[in-house]
Amino acid sequence: MASVGIIANPASGKDIRRLVAYGICFDNLEKVNIVKRCLLALAVTGVDRVVYMPDYYGIVPRAVEGLAKAHHLSLDIVEADMEMTGTQIDSAQAALAMNQAGIGCIITLGGDGTNRMVAKNCGDVPLLPISTGTNNVFPQMVEGTIAGLAAGAVACGLADFPAVHRTKKIVVLKNGKPVDMALIDAVVLKDIFIGSRAIWDEERIRKVVVTRGEPDNIGISSIAGNLHPIGITESKGMAIDLGPGNISLMAPLAPGLIRPIQVAAYKILEIGEEINGEKGPLVIALDGEREVEVGEGEEVSFQLTFEGPRVADPRLVLRQAVAKGYSQGEQAMKKLHRLKEEN
Amino acid sequence: MDLKKEQLLDIYKKMCTIRAFESKIVEIFAAGKIPGFVHLYLGEEAVATGVCANLETKDFIASTHRGHGHLIAKGGDLKSMMAEVFGRTTGYCKGKGGSMHIADVDLGILGANGIVGAGMPIATGAAFACKYKNNGAVAVAFFGDGASDRATFHEALNLASTWKLPVVFLCENNGWAISNSQKTHQNITDISDRASGYGIPGVSVDGNDVIAVYEAAGAAIERARKGDGPTLVECKTWRHRGHFEGDPGAYKDPKDQEEWLKKDPIPRLEKNLLKLNYAVQADLDKIKADTEADIEEAVKFAESSPLPDPQELFTDVYAD
Repeated sequence: MASVGIIANPASGKDIRRLVAYGICFDNLEKVNIVKRCLLALAVTGVDRVVYMPDYYGIVPRAVEGLAKAHHLSLDIVEADMEMTGTQIDSAQAALAMNQAGIGCIITLGGDGTNRMVAKNCGDVPLLPISTGTNNVFPQMVEGTIAGLAAGAVACGLADFPAVHRTKKIVVLKNGKPVDMALIDAVVLKDIFIGSRAIWDEERIRKVVVTRGEPDNIGISSIAGNLHPIGITESKGMAIDLGPGNISLMAPLAPGLIRPIQVAAYKILEIGEEINGEKGPLVIALDGEREVEVGEGEEVSFQLTFEGPRVADPRLVLRQAVAKGYSQGEQAMKKLHRLKEEN
Repeated sequence: MDLKKEQLLDIYKKMCTIRAFESKIVEIFAAGKIPGFVHLYLGEEAVATGVCANLETKDFIASTHRGHGHLIAKGGDLKSMMAEVFGRTTGYCKGKGGSMHIADVDLGILGANGIVGAGMPIATGAAFACKYKNNGAVAVAFFGDGASDRATFHEALNLASTWKLPVVFLCENNGWAISNSQKTHQNITDISDRASGYGIPGVSVDGNDVIAVYEAAGAAIERARKGDGPTLVECKTWRHRGHFEGDPGAYKDPKDQEEWLKKDPIPRLEKNLLKLNYAVQADLDKIKADTEADIEEAVKFAESSPLPDPQELFTDVYAD
C-alpha cells in the first residue's frame, strides 16, 4: 500500500519579515487550496493512504471538506499519531510518526524553517517540499497538482536517484555536543535574544556557514551564491566571516531586501569539516530563524555533513515516472477511471 | 535588535508593576472594596509593555475594557488609576468612570473603553490628526480577537489603509471572546490573515515573549512613523483569569490553562535577564518588591481619598 504524508505549517509566511522586508503574505486559505490540488493528484497516482500533521488551523481537514462533491476522494486520509502542541515541534513530531508508519514520501508546505524541523525526524523518507514560507531555498515553487503527482510517483516506487537525492546539512554543536541542525545556513549573530526569530539585518551577522548557495537564492545563503556558488549536490560547503575586508558584494538577504555585504574572509568546507571557536553570548540563526542562544562561557561549532534528508525533484521524478509509463496506456486510464468511479 | 540592559530592566519593571496592580485588584475586588466590573490583564503583560516601549509621549493609544496594562505601560499614574478603580474623587475621572473609562490625554492615553471594538475608530481618528498635523506621532489601537469580528474593525482598517494613516492595529488574541473560544466565532486562526483584505501587512507574533512583541511592534510603529501606513500585528497570548473578576473561567480546558501558565511572560523575561547577567535574583526580587510597594501606596492613596459628592452626577456631563 502506497502512502504519502502531508506536513503543512499553518504559521509559515507570517513573521516580521512582512514588515522589515517584503515577505510574501501566505494566508492559510491558500495552503488549503494547495493541499486540495495535492490530494486530487495523489488520488490518481495509485496512493491509497494520506497521513497528515494535525494543526491548529486544520489545513488538511479543511482541504478535504472543501473539495467539490464531484471530487470526493476515496483515499484513506488519517491524522498522524501524535499530540499537537501548536508549535514548530509539531512538524518534527509528525515527521517521526510518518517515518515510523512507513510513509513513502512527505509533502511539506512551509519555508526553510519548516523543512528543518521535518528533516530532524524524517529519516530516509524523501521530502517533496512546496514553498509557502519566506526564505525558500530548500523548498521549491512547485504547483500543488504537480507536487501531488510527483509525491505519488515517489511513494509508488517510480523514481530514484538522481530524481530523489540526498542533501547536506550543518550540525550545530554547543560545547562539543550536537544541539541542532540546519539544511541551508547557520548564522552567528551579534544578537542576544531569539525574539521575533527572523533575521534581516546584515549589521548583526558575524559568520555564515552554508551547505549551498546560489545567486538566485533568497536569504543568507545568497551571500555564498554571490561569492562562490555551491550547488545542492556538491560535496562542499562554505564558511564566511563578515566584516571589513577586500570583498564587497550585494545579496538578497530577505524578499525585496538586497543589501551590501563586506566579506572579511571565506573558506570552502569539505564534508566532515568542522568550524570552531564562536564564543557566546550570541545567537545562532538556522535556516533564516534565530533558534539557539549561546550564553557567556559557551562555545559553538558547526560541522558540514552529507546526511541531510532525501529530497525529490518534481521535474526529474515525473520524467522518470513518464519513462516508466505512469501517465500512458491502460494502467493510467484505470487510475483515472478509478477516480471517476469514485466520483 | 538593540535593547540595552537598562531598557530591558525598565521593561521588566513595567511588567511587574502591571502584575502587581492587577494582583492587588484581585484581592480588593474579592474583599468587596471596589465598585463595578474589572477585567484583568494578568498574563498579557508582555503585549502592552513590548508595544509601549516603542512609543513616545506624543503618541496615542486607544485601549479596551481590559485596559489597566496599556495605561500603566504608557505611563499612567498609579495613584490616579487606583483611585479611579476605587471610585474616588482623586481618580482620573473623578471617580465617575471606573476601570473601563480611565484616560489621560496628556500622556496620549485616549481611554479604556467599555464597548468592544470601539478603540479602533478612535485610534484611526487620532492617526488622521497626526497625519494632518504632520507631527510625526502615531496611534496604536489595542483590541481583542472578538473585537476583530466587529464592524469597527472593518471600518477602521479600511479607512486607515485607504488614507495610509500612521496607526498600528494591535490585536491581543487571547483565544477567548468573553467565554467563546476563537474557533466558535471565527473561521480563521491567525487574525493577521485579515490584513491582506485591506492591502496592508499583517504579522503574527508570540505575545508572551516581550522581546518578540517589542521587535514586531517596533517595526510596525516605525512604518507608521515614516509614512508607510497601517499594520495589523497579532500577538498570541492568554489571560490568566476569567473574562471579568467573578468569572471562574470554567469554559477553559485546565490543560490549556496549565500549558499557557508555563509560558508566563514574566518568568520568561527573568530567565533571560539572569542568563545575560543583566541582573541577579536579588535585583529582580527588589524590583518586584518595589513595584508591590508602589501599588500599596496607590491603594492607601485611593482609600484615603473621598468619594464623589452625589451632586457630582450633574457635572462633566456636557462640555462648556
